[in-house]
Amino acid sequence: MQVIGEPPISDTMISLHGICKCFSSNSVLKGIDLDVKRGEVVALIGGNGAGKSTLMKIIMGIYQQDKGDIYLNGEKVNMIKPSVALTHGIYLVPQEPMLFPNMTVEENITIGFPNKKAELHTRIVGIMDQLGWKIKLDRKANTLSIAEQQLVEILRGLLRDTKILILDEPTSSLTFNEVESLFKLIEDLKKKGICIFYITHRLSEVFEIATHVAIMRDGMITLKGPVTDFTKDDLVKGLLPPETKMKTSEKSEAIDYSKLKPILEVKKITGYGFRNINLEVYPGEILGVAGVVGAGRTEFATTIFGLDEVKSGQVIMDGEDITGASTRTVLDKGINYVPEDRYQNGIFKIGDVGSNLSSAFLRKSSKFFLNTKSEKQLAEDYIKNFRIKVTGQNQIMGSLSGGNQQKVVIGRALSTSPKVVILDEPTRGIDAGARGDVYTIINQLKKQGVAVLLISSDFEEIVELSDRAVIMYQGSINHSFNKEQINLDNLTAASFGVYEEDNH
Amino acid sequence: MNTLKRIFKARELSSLTFLLVMFLIVGAVNPAFLQIRNLFLTFNGSVVFVLLAVGISFVIITGEIDVSIGATLGLAAAVSATLLRGGSPWVVAVIAAVAVGVGVGLINGIGVTVLKVPSIIMTLGINGIVRGAIYVYTDGKWVENVPFEFKALSQASIFNTVTYFFFCTIVFMLAVHLILTKTKQGRHFAAVGDNMQGANLIGIPVDSTKVIAYIVSGIFAAIAGIVYVSRVGFVTPTAGSGYEMKAIAACVLGGISLAGGVGTVIGATIGAVIMASISRVLVFLQFSSDYDNTITGILLIVIVVADSLIQRRICEKARRERLSARTLSGVGGKCDE
Amino acid sequence: MNKRLLKEKLFQWENFLILILITEILIFGLLNPKFLQSRVLLGSINDFISICIISLFVTFVFITGGMDIQAGSIVGLTSISLGVLWQDAGLNIWTAAIIAVLIGAVCGAISGFLVAFTGVQAMVVTLGGQFLYSGIALAVVKLSSSSAFEGICGFPNSFISLATSKTLGIPNQVIIFVVLIILSYILLHKTKYGRYIFLCGINRNAAIYSGIKTKLIIMSTYILSGMSASIAGIVLTSYLGSARADLGKELTLPIITAVVLGGTSNLGGKGGVLGTALAAVVIGIMRFGLVMAGLPTQYLDIPIGLLLVVTVAARTVSGNTKLMKTIGKFIRKA
Repeated sequence: MQVIGEPPISDTMISLHGICKCFSSNSVLKGIDLDVKRGEVVALIGGNGAGKSTLMKIIMGIYQQDKGDIYLNGEKVNMIKPSVALTHGIYLVPQEPMLFPNMTVEENITIGFPNKKAELHTRIVGIMDQLGWKIKLDRKANTLSIAEQQLVEILRGLLRDTKILILDEPTSSLTFNEVESLFKLIEDLKKKGICIFYITHRLSEVFEIATHVAIMRDGMITLKGPVTDFTKDDLVKGLLPPETKMKTSEKSEAIDYSKLKPILEVKKITGYGFRNINLEVYPGEILGVAGVVGAGRTEFATTIFGLDEVKSGQVIMDGEDITGASTRTVLDKGINYVPEDRYQNGIFKIGDVGSNLSSAFLRKSSKFFLNTKSEKQLAEDYIKNFRIKVTGQNQIMGSLSGGNQQKVVIGRALSTSPKVVILDEPTRGIDAGARGDVYTIINQLKKQGVAVLLISSDFEEIVELSDRAVIMYQGSINHSFNKEQINLDNLTAASFGVYEEDNH
Repeated sequence: MNTLKRIFKARELSSLTFLLVMFLIVGAVNPAFLQIRNLFLTFNGSVVFVLLAVGISFVIITGEIDVSIGATLGLAAAVSATLLRGGSPWVVAVIAAVAVGVGVGLINGIGVTVLKVPSIIMTLGINGIVRGAIYVYTDGKWVENVPFEFKALSQASIFNTVTYFFFCTIVFMLAVHLILTKTKQGRHFAAVGDNMQGANLIGIPVDSTKVIAYIVSGIFAAIAGIVYVSRVGFVTPTAGSGYEMKAIAACVLGGISLAGGVGTVIGATIGAVIMASISRVLVFLQFSSDYDNTITGILLIVIVVADSLIQRRICEKARRERLSARTLSGVGGKCDE
Repeated sequence: MNKRLLKEKLFQWENFLILILITEILIFGLLNPKFLQSRVLLGSINDFISICIISLFVTFVFITGGMDIQAGSIVGLTSISLGVLWQDAGLNIWTAAIIAVLIGAVCGAISGFLVAFTGVQAMVVTLGGQFLYSGIALAVVKLSSSSAFEGICGFPNSFISLATSKTLGIPNQVIIFVVLIILSYILLHKTKYGRYIFLCGINRNAAIYSGIKTKLIIMSTYILSGMSASIAGIVLTSYLGSARADLGKELTLPIITAVVLGGTSNLGGKGGVLGTALAAVVIGIMRFGLVMAGLPTQYLDIPIGLLLVVTVAARTVSGNTKLMKTIGKFIRKA
């Protein structure tokens, strides 16, 4: 990117040369070169497992590179631990907030500072006023929502005199207004000459705030340059592996609902995080449930699944009232759920793939002694049908890629032969190839007459797959669309509560 | 108003309330218990446990555990008693005992941080080794005939009520409390126990903080050992065995969470006083002090379970309020036909 | 691929334990040839049978991610209860034994319930249990006409022979141990229940989402460990010929050592009873052999503590490639 005629003293703030990193035998970074100048915002995009977070953790000194050098202002720096990075003015706002749950917000922000308490307090209040963010400073961190925790993390970074700020998917759980104020702030920091690494999955954000963009795939930077050089399509192409084309499922016929009887009926159900929801799900359809993060979709799903209390209303499955039933009963009645947070609620990380697949199936297949034969058969079937990449059934789950883990979790949900499957963000954070496979699986289910409830924040996914779609907004369903009405504009408008009938 | 609120939220306050209520109830049954002299006897008798509990609370607050302090107390006591018997000045004996504490703590700390052995395993193993070392050192014999002057130290008191030992322990404890809560380094202990990765990320030296916690725990155990020598006057090879469990119980009673990150040394002190007074309380209620363990066990379980249930309820309530706040109240969506 | 599998099989922890065991027996045999007589070797189990029995089932607790430091105190409680039920309540000794096992189960159930249903850490609950059950044991002593110091003696011969005589030339204690190993192995590794134990330990949330009743599973492991402690208490009472409240007091260290040395992770989700059984025998033989070689019993905690710390450290360090590299560099320099 060197342009002839530039002054000899470059204002490059941080420069990475040939950074390589392996975890055991798995090569995660394969020679990363990247220069960032003062006031630049570099958007780093790429699928999960591309190595973005690892690269950032190396800059922060959490991991050490196997090969390659880091230069700050032209000087080679050995980032052996985070405190070294901190003294050089580098700060990482991690993807998952790392607060101290038993400390107050203020203590969380100020810990590690040598300054006087009162002075820090005025500075924090100043920054918060400027941003218009409202968090009580004496609240304990364990009472904060994820979004609030993220705000605290960002505040922490701002309070330090950071020269290089790393934001790892900062907007993934923020509300619309919070995102807006964060972007304003980033503009500000840009002017002050602070350089920012901005990791994101949302391409629209790239064009909104970044000055430069770098795309990572398989541990390498495949594309980099000023944002103005690219279009959205360029970026999408850069994200995909060279040989695969964008996978689109065959367009399906509209379903004739007049002859169908709903398999699952939800009547005026109210719970924690949602209220007054009416829903009918028919066999053989894919019902998209769209909305922004925090709209209450996951709470709705987990409540039906018997994990939280139903305040009022009714859930009727195949003519039977299962309101408030335990998870086990719900499973037996033919509903299964693929959780949103795969790591927390989905995988048995140190268990093998076979036992991961069979954990829900065992109840039917084994009485007292394990039926190893049927267990093996089950695993074999799913590994083959879902194209799960494993060395064998004995491979440890934690060593699989995100996409393959997700396929295993979906396989487990299907092993109980459910009539209704709720998929909660089934393709979040998995690569394009696995995403295509998941879509194929969903379409297969539909053909088999299974009703699919597809919860997703990726509206393109809903447009592509759904036969009908409902939109949840602040805990209620505010609109529903049939096949012809489902398009990105309608879904987006309704999710943000601004859809009007005559708008399209 | 705010400070008042904070005081009421403080976990050690409920322990203190419990202690007072216990004293009042016993006093109602047997007024002799509430005599100043008797109360101070109770307090003076708790010095060894207070020292152990304050020391181990460092380790527990960083999210680890140390079950080697009972043996450390025994070894430090044996070493210092042998030196005193041999005519060494008490300064030498104290230094030697503290050196024992530092040594054991250092080994524990290195094992847990560098070798990454789980702390319960590491300190359990070290407990066995140190206990064996006492037998080797004393040849399995009792260390007796500690100089009278040293034994008399434990009886020396201010105004005939508070022993110097108890007084010093409280002063010591308060100093430690200030260091823990007011200094930058002191707050590192709670930070490490609260969220280790988070602490690492903002540049807190996690490993050295843990090593220091173990060393502090060892030193306090060693000092407790010296007090033990002075109070008891002789050291058996089993001295201090089982004390580690009582110290941990004291911390828990004082509101320190074994998950780390929560608690103060003041709480540990109150817990230790509760622990130490139970057998005395039983005597005044005219029960056999054999029920000491039973009461301790019940107390421990009841207090911890109640606390956990309350905490869970608060968290659950907060979660539900947050979720409810998100939903649109009043008119529902347009779809509710 | 096949080679790697073979390598994995060969380097399994259990094989390493067998190697230690053989080395131990050889060394002690060299020191004292009498040690190698099968009568002596098999008879040595008398000294550590309780560790063997209890650690098998404490392994279950560990795999759910729990911790059990109360089992030792249940040994004493069941021993003295057995004696009181027989001597002072006048029950048949075998009825008394069954009730003693039930007492152990109830103790385990109380702690297990609290761990599973209230979310208090297992370490704290079982610490409380340790105090509580050893305290109750002292209270039970008061119900008896015998003093705590002497214990209750004079059991019928049929009961004494439970732990002292032989069947087909094999000491009964060895038979009890083997039967329990087989039982626990089948339960943990061959049944649905055992699989659920592992799944609870790896990720309790994911287990709940799979429709597993995790609370009951977790609670049940404490019941099993409580029952095993009471079986150990009965066997020990039979062997010693007297029921005492303070039996099992020093068992916490060796039990946890056996479980961890056997390859079970204290973080849950990983482990097995074969490893535990081997480790318990390794520890027991070491104690027995050292005593035969002339080491005073009080010193025994040193080698066992060392064994625990060194093996676990070696295991974690060898799994840590970075540290291994540094050590390698260091050795090369020196």
